[in-house]
Amino acid sequence: MKLTRRATLQTLIAGSAAFATMRAFPALAQQKGGTLRVGLTYEIDTMNVYSTGFLGDAQAAVVEGLLAPDQHAKYVPVLATEVPTIENGGIVVAADGKTMKITYKLRPGVKWHDGKPFTSADVKYTWEAVKDPKFVAESKDGSKQVESIETPDDLTVIVNYNTILPTFASTLFTFGIFPKHLLEGTDLNTSSYNETPIGTGPFKVKEFQRGQYVVTERFDDYWRKADNGDKLPYLDQIIFKMIPDTNTLITQLKSHEIDLVVQTPYNQSKQIEQISGIELVKGPLLSWQHLDFNFKRPSLADIAVRKAIAHAIDRSVLIKVQGGFPQPIKSPVVPVFDFFDAGTPEYAYDVALAKKMLDDAGYVVGAGGVRAKGGERLSYSFMIQAGRADDELAQQVIIAQLKAIGIEATADNKTGVAYREARYKGGYDLIYGRWITSADPVYSVFWGTGGANNGQSYSNPKLDEAFKKFEATLDPAARKSAAAEFQKILAEDVPTISLTTNVALIAKTAKLKNFLPNPTNMTNFVNTAAWYMA
Amino acid sequence: MTFAYVFKRLLGTIPLLLGISLILFAIVHFAPGGPLDVYADNPSVSKEALEQIAKAYGLDQPAYIQYFLWLKAVIVGNWGYSIRTGRPVLTEILLRLRPTFELGGLALLFSLVVAIPLGILSATRRGSKLDGALTLASFAGISTPVFWLALLLQLLFSVQLGWLPSAGYQSIGDGSLFDRLAHIVMPAAVLSLATIASWSRFIRSGMADVLNQDYIRTAYAKGHGLLGVIMRHALRNAMIPAITVIAVDFGTVISGAVITETVFAWPGIGRLFMESMDGRDYPMLMGLMMMGSVGIIAANLVADLAYAALDPRIRYG
Repeated sequence: MKLTRRATLQTLIAGSAAFATMRAFPALAQQKGGTLRVGLTYEIDTMNVYSTGFLGDAQAAVVEGLLAPDQHAKYVPVLATEVPTIENGGIVVAADGKTMKITYKLRPGVKWHDGKPFTSADVKYTWEAVKDPKFVAESKDGSKQVESIETPDDLTVIVNYNTILPTFASTLFTFGIFPKHLLEGTDLNTSSYNETPIGTGPFKVKEFQRGQYVVTERFDDYWRKADNGDKLPYLDQIIFKMIPDTNTLITQLKSHEIDLVVQTPYNQSKQIEQISGIELVKGPLLSWQHLDFNFKRPSLADIAVRKAIAHAIDRSVLIKVQGGFPQPIKSPVVPVFDFFDAGTPEYAYDVALAKKMLDDAGYVVGAGGVRAKGGERLSYSFMIQAGRADDELAQQVIIAQLKAIGIEATADNKTGVAYREARYKGGYDLIYGRWITSADPVYSVFWGTGGANNGQSYSNPKLDEAFKKFEATLDPAARKSAAAEFQKILAEDVPTISLTTNVALIAKTAKLKNFLPNPTNMTNFVNTAAWYMA
Repeated sequence: MTFAYVFKRLLGTIPLLLGISLILFAIVHFAPGGPLDVYADNPSVSKEALEQIAKAYGLDQPAYIQYFLWLKAVIVGNWGYSIRTGRPVLTEILLRLRPTFELGGLALLFSLVVAIPLGILSATRRGSKLDGALTLASFAGISTPVFWLALLLQLLFSVQLGWLPSAGYQSIGDGSLFDRLAHIVMPAAVLSLATIASWSRFIRSGMADVLNQDYIRTAYAKGHGLLGVIMRHALRNAMIPAITVIAVDFGTVISGAVITETVFAWPGIGRLFMESMDGRDYPMLMGLMMMGSVGIIAANLVADLAYAALDPRIRYG
């Protein structure tokens, strides 16, 4: 009996296929009520979105910002009524082109969890609180670019920037808004807000037990309505349980003590698929793996060698050693973004061609099968962050694939401060690693001349120009063409080989509907109001 | 004079703890990585934000200054602030002590209740099949990995039978005695397995030595029954070697059970240590390890005093 039920369920829920079906019939029976139990793999440090070291999953159900990225990493209005753009007059660039002014129209009738109205004063206070040097927090991005804020009325906020900041949407006000009437004059570092925040979100914090769980329950005066007019949220409660051990998480899925885990390890996927009533959903992520070169090595500054290496790498093997889950990419702009350019040139896996390119460039196979030219052997020190199992496997694959074309790479892995030093200062010849960006990424930090994360000593004025265009314009069409331009330059000059991008394996109860995986650092929990249990 | 002795011993712990704190501080700071490493992959955490955090926690100071700042915070303050949560270290630790004492205390009491009879049984029937079986079981108990046993118990009692919650300290909105007992049973059982196995071995060998002594034969000759001889004459003497092990095990309760607490999502000291380790939360790690050291030192003192109580020939002065 059990077996047949399980088998039937499996045919019903074949992963993302079921997900697609679910979205095709969204309006069957949205039921009010029910409790969703979420398993988190980490201990929530603070409920304050500006100072947490994690993504802020539980926080996103409670605290809202003016905007939020949706499932396509596109910004949608939340506490604002629309996303400011140049077309709708929300963004006005000064006559000299050096500063800008952004006007947010706020949503009327929004209430804080304590019943007080949400107003423009709260937005202004949020900026003042975040930029205050006494407040210790890592997410202060975008606060020092604001010169002043005007609040002509309760529902209008005018933000005067001292520069042009196209990434304004991924910073400051998107993380969340503080309630001024509760926090003004208090010390944010020690406030009880950090455990039981008052927000405007669909759920309010009922109980926070450190190291155990956070209970959130429906906020009855939540502003948002469903498209069909239903009052939101549907769920009565969302409970976030902190369970650090992944085996225990899987056990709790099996014993139906939890209903949702937003990131399960790749190697547990087979097990999870076997659990009755639980389905596995793949969600894209904004992170990617790359192989970068240090231009201080003369041979690596030679484009022929970099191109040969690009042809020598077989991404399908890299994907296989990582459980088959990462997806191949050819640009650091991951395909979720609409400014990813599908026309970016790529290098097919072709060992014979790679060898021929090295032969033509004068690199002759010498002792031990390693090529050399003018006294320089193609023998490189190859760094990854030590202790990351997936990266160590990928490194071994790349070493083997380079060996096939006569290039020697020796693992020189580091951790901690030593790794950071080497990464930012170029203490390597080859480096394999991973970056993650916000929904509004900036790429000049990686390959721009003098970029903060450019440890490669790479400099290309043409690329700098394209980055500048991309990062200093607010016009979507111009941004898209600048993005296509820098993607093409990166592909042609190969300072980096973009290898794979990741997916999140989300385990959820089949009963949970309207769940949309969110690829951004704003987490899957930005849309909890619309979730319901069937 | 016992009181003077205890006072002298306590006085001696001050330089000892200072020495330990120096060594621990060096180890924690020399370990690869640092508190700000969690941001390594994230290019949107700006350099200024990192510098500000470093400054707020004194991480920009030379190591010896950091040590003295920490020492000052321990003596006159709240043991510094956790870098991960921003809350005082002492507050965080006190919050975790109760679950840890409950779990560790229950596991050790249970161990005591089981290990003493098992040890005696084994010693009085030396060479028998029962003795052989218990010896084998002890070795199995000592060698069983905690996380594996935990997983098996969870699969049996939570997934298959559905009798017990697989992890956690209490049900949400419940927390009654029965509910808490249901949560503590499995982790306490897992935690006590190894101690039962090792303690019963110590008691067995202590007992085996004593049972060969002349005074035991005399006791029998005077007409005492088996139970009377063991309880009144043998056990007291047989416990002396076991006391050290048992006392030190009790002393380590304060450090928490890292693996068991992590596997069972138990909100105790051991798991706090694990989380702090992952984040290289220096002030938190120092606080936790110093507490562990105090626990061991106290346990040793208690063991020494227990010898004297059990054996009138032992005197301290």
